[in-house]
Amino acid sequence: MTESKGAASNRPDPEPSAHRRLGSPVNARESPVGGRLPSLGSLLLAQIRYQLQLLFSSGRAIAVGVGLPVILMLASKGTGTHSHPNVAGYAVFGLTITAWSTYGLQLVAAREAGVLKRWRSTPLPRWCYFVGRILATALAATLAGMVTVLAAVVLWGPHFGEGSAVQVNYTVALAILVACVLGALAWAATATAFSSLIPSVEAAFPLLTLTYFPVVIISGVLFSIVEPHWLSTLATYLPAQPLLDAVTGAVRHGPGAPFIPGHDLGVLAGWAGGGLLAAVVLFRWEPHRPKHRRGEPAGL
Amino acid sequence: MSTVAVERLTKRFGSYVAVDDLSFEVPAGQVLAVLGPNGAGKTTTLEMLEGFSSPTSGTIRVLDATPHRGDRAWRARIGLVQQATSLDAQLTVRDTLSLFGHLYPDPRRVSEVLEMVSLVGDAQTRVGALSGGQRRRVDLAIGVIGRPEVLFLDEPTTGLDPEARRRTWSDVENVRSSGTTVVLTTHYIDEADHLADRLIVLAGGRMVADTTPQKMRSDGGPPRITCPLPDRTTAANLPAGWARYLEPDGRTLVIRNADITTTLRDLLTWAGDRHLDLKGLEVGPPSLEEAYLVAIGGPLTQGVTR
Repeated sequence: MTESKGAASNRPDPEPSAHRRLGSPVNARESPVGGRLPSLGSLLLAQIRYQLQLLFSSGRAIAVGVGLPVILMLASKGTGTHSHPNVAGYAVFGLTITAWSTYGLQLVAAREAGVLKRWRSTPLPRWCYFVGRILATALAATLAGMVTVLAAVVLWGPHFGEGSAVQVNYTVALAILVACVLGALAWAATATAFSSLIPSVEAAFPLLTLTYFPVVIISGVLFSIVEPHWLSTLATYLPAQPLLDAVTGAVRHGPGAPFIPGHDLGVLAGWAGGGLLAAVVLFRWEPHRPKHRRGEPAGL
Repeated sequence: MSTVAVERLTKRFGSYVAVDDLSFEVPAGQVLAVLGPNGAGKTTTLEMLEGFSSPTSGTIRVLDATPHRGDRAWRARIGLVQQATSLDAQLTVRDTLSLFGHLYPDPRRVSEVLEMVSLVGDAQTRVGALSGGQRRRVDLAIGVIGRPEVLFLDEPTTGLDPEARRRTWSDVENVRSSGTTVVLTTHYIDEADHLADRLIVLAGGRMVADTTPQKMRSDGGPPRITCPLPDRTTAANLPAGWARYLEPDGRTLVIRNADITTTLRDLLTWAGDRHLDLKGLEVGPPSLEEAYLVAIGGPLTQGVTR
């Protein structure tokens, strides 16, 4: 061991408490200076607020999640062929593209920029970071879906469903909200897991798009297509069609029919839970590094 | 008790040995610089100290805990600045610091940290609108906002212009004046010389020197004579065999010689006989850079006689 240079010994003494801190045992709840670590609830709330701030500060989430569906809806109104607009489809489109593409792109960009690694180095519990991120995305995506429904109400009035008995009221709005929250959780949790498989920011857009549009199209979110039986069966187990059915069911429900069918709820809950589990196993905090030579990571 | 204690630390990636049998300790309050060329194992060592990866063999203790098993309370006692800036560009500087400060039990006030890193005037500026040097200082501000007992800095000034580097050095000095132990990696010899109490030099994953800047200089080889060639003097006018001491520019003599007295007398005699004015003549120990190159076995052969 070498001695420190003279300048070091001339420095002001650290605070006495700092000396005491060095040898103190590490306790999971007490901080080394005797203060308590912030509560998990306050940390989670702060994370949700921060992630919402990120989602909305760029404007991308609003432009894509709300702007695009409303433009499509206006275009369909302009054709005059849609006396009963596909409001549920546009709402689901806005919600899912926010929870999958916008969120996935931001997550990969944050990881590759080292932002996730920075968070991992802090006292924030790891689960708190990505649960906060998923919940914030679910909120933003739900908001996107609800704004699309509101836009439909503005454009067509509350009686835009099939049949004069159908209209948006508080119960319908609540059912749509439940379907949207569950659907957004399912998409965002799955996107969290999927982002771990994306190697770079450059690869994020094509991979997220390639995995998004086929699911949305075979699920009939934007328009109906004729497809083989096996494909339409498969679509009922993917997270888009059950969400579409749930929102459509809420908008067009008849007397005695459930607002949201149990199968749809089950599938969405399965994707949300499965996505979360996969995210816990697969989630990657550190950026991918190009390898300089076999077996050697860069930046040694 | 040492703040950092590393014993027989080894890290392998497949067959590649990134860190090989490294042992050292860092007492509280010391500023340790880890030097070495690319691939020397600096960042790998630092990442193990920070808890991002675990050793293949050997032990590490930081603040009396094993870093890769460190819990929240342990993480609240360390701070770090990564090799690359890692910030969300959309938030303002103040919002960013406030967000991170919220994670710690006894954070510094945001205004205090802004002052510490000379960013008071940029508190309301979005991080994305800052220069590279300013972003680096925000990184540093996040690293210290939780009042860390140990601060890890991975090449904190790489890529910065000279002025930004000097400002960052000043920021680090502010941090260490509060008694924080600092472990930093750097490529810059002058940075290590300016900031560090102690130097560890790595090459090929192994420690080749554990010393102080002053001792490294004195151990780094023979003294050095530097002298710009007098006007109207060329290599052909020099004493026999001295042309090999000329720098590539052909106008500066750099002689590293163990027998400094004889060499200096020869030089003065040569100049005196020809009535030459040796403006700019310097005699002194080897530079830290030269000593460093000697330590890592780098290309330092020109002008050396022993």
